[in-house]
Amino acid sequence: MADGGLTVFINYEHNTHVYNITVERRDNQFFITYDNNEYTVVASELKPGHLSIQLGDRIIKSIITQGEEDKFVFIDGSIFKVKRIELTGRKKTEKREGDLHSPISGTVVSCKVKEGSLIKKDDVILIIEAMKMEYLIRAPYDGIVKKTYFKEKDQIEIGQLTAEIQKQEE
Amino acid sequence: MFKKVLIANRGEIAVRIIKACQEMGIRTVAVYSEVDKHAPHVQIADESINLGDPTPSESYLNIAKIIENANKVHAEAIHPGYGFLAENPDFAKACLDSGITFIGPTPEVIRLMGDKIEAKKTIAHAHVPVIPGYNGIQQDLPTLIKEGKKIGFPLLVKATAGGGGKGMRIVHKESELEQSIESAKREAKSAFGNDSVFLEQYIDKPRHIEFQILADHHGTVIHLYERECSIQRRHQKIIEETPSPVMTPDLREKMGKAAIAAATAVGYTNAGTIEFMIDGNQKFYFMEMNTRLQVEHPITEATTGIDLVKWQLRIASGQELTLKQKDITQRGHALECRIYAEDPSNGFLPSIGTLEKVDLPNGPNIRNDTGVETNFHVSPYYDPMLAKLTVNAENREESINKMIWALSHYVVLGVTTNISFLKKVLDHPEFRKGNITTHFINDYFHDWLITKEGLPLDALIALAVYDSLHTQRQEIVRYKEADPHSPWQHVGRWRMGV
Repeated sequence: MADGGLTVFINYEHNTHVYNITVERRDNQFFITYDNNEYTVVASELKPGHLSIQLGDRIIKSIITQGEEDKFVFIDGSIFKVKRIELTGRKKTEKREGDLHSPISGTVVSCKVKEGSLIKKDDVILIIEAMKMEYLIRAPYDGIVKKTYFKEKDQIEIGQLTAEIQKQEE
Repeated sequence: MFKKVLIANRGEIAVRIIKACQEMGIRTVAVYSEVDKHAPHVQIADESINLGDPTPSESYLNIAKIIENANKVHAEAIHPGYGFLAENPDFAKACLDSGITFIGPTPEVIRLMGDKIEAKKTIAHAHVPVIPGYNGIQQDLPTLIKEGKKIGFPLLVKATAGGGGKGMRIVHKESELEQSIESAKREAKSAFGNDSVFLEQYIDKPRHIEFQILADHHGTVIHLYERECSIQRRHQKIIEETPSPVMTPDLREKMGKAAIAAATAVGYTNAGTIEFMIDGNQKFYFMEMNTRLQVEHPITEATTGIDLVKWQLRIASGQELTLKQKDITQRGHALECRIYAEDPSNGFLPSIGTLEKVDLPNGPNIRNDTGVETNFHVSPYYDPMLAKLTVNAENREESINKMIWALSHYVVLGVTTNISFLKKVLDHPEFRKGNITTHFINDYFHDWLITKEGLPLDALIALAVYDSLHTQRQEIVRYKEADPHSPWQHVGRWRMGV
């Protein structure tokens, strides 16, 4: 491409779904391929992050910001949080089983189970306090507590595993 | 009138109070913690004081530090806003003791109304209906369980010193009672330093309707109509409106009278709010009194044309309330939405981060109260409410449509917010009909996901354009090499011209 056309291959992750996109740019023209369809648009960035994009006879207006990890897209009154990812050499994001990971960073108020004890689905395992509110981690199924990772007053970070539970066979 | 007022708060409410003071020619002093040093309330104030450590107890909740600084800068009065020290009788007392006017009622009234049990007893004496329940001082588990069983289920466990839904639990069956009491006590202890709770009968199809009160030091008490605040998540309000869609002139007359009777019974002064619950048969019960300015005060201002903060200042400085009950009229309909940094599709968990972009909607009868701006960092130290959006129009339907329009033009990027969620709630057919209760969110939005539909094509196109514009040449090579087996490598037109 002697005229300096730039082609970029991008994977966007949004809500555990991955979208593969290719975009080639020549000046203010963009050739975008997604899901075997091609879209040719003319676009400009009016001020940082503010895009005006012409697709056929439609004008798409959007505001995009780049945070440390995520991009935020404001479009048509809705906001989407998107991550740009590289798929090579990496498995797709693993599905976490149950909900035994902490949904928030905070302090452990109390651990309600002991290793080796039998628990029922929805039993409270851990109570976490953050911003003066309590969050409960509940058992996703009946089982035996194999391991607990936190005790009272421990700091817990978002995404950390709170406990391991061996599922009870029916 | 005061010459200088210190505002012992942060965020949108500090900004709102500072503006009112400045309009009245009063010099303002902001206080801030380390993480708020560039916050809008600090920038807009005439003077500011660094309180240091962002931990609330070391900054916005530190009575000694705030009083000491107020004295140092010769502030004649302190406005506490809402939250933090606004309903702390020790703070009101400390102000009084050091010769500073506390903008609010007396420490005695705050203490009385802050004790939910005593408050109910006192208000019941004024012939205002209250909800049946257990308000005893016996706080041991066996007593509470016994009393709970007596009231029956479902019942509510509430922190005596509570507010904002903290230390509150609904108990549907006997087997949940013990765990709920323990957990409510723990939360109450950590939030208010007091683990005492009370139990009360749980009202079916409850609506939260409150009355705004203004009372001066010369015996005049008036109300400024109702606000309906039934749309709540985690027992905290997110959408408020006035007038209430169920209000009738007769009911308004009765509730307004009860509100004034309640305020009069305790010798209330300044701005306050009497919160009622009404059931499916429009029977109303006193719930509690908030001895401060409410978050949702702008909807009252929008429909009555009265500036509540300015009246707070005038009343505190000893001026007479010149407004008479018969002069208060309400016009049109107003709605307020609270914009929170939180994720409605994930249990409304707070979201933390830097606001990459803040761009607020403007237009006729659209009011923005905000304490944040572009590049502001939302920290885990404080309440995740970023701003309030208030609109008013001729009637409820127009008001809803205006609010949906405004929310559709509300740009806050960098953290997850509840904006899309608010829009869905407002556009729900039952909300539009006015069929709401405090269970509305649980009933209709229990499993709501922010992005069920996935990314729309337009968003992908916009992202592609953005990344194409912002990707450097060497990065492209990296992306290309990163995946040599990508099918894109073999699509003729897209191949890099190497």
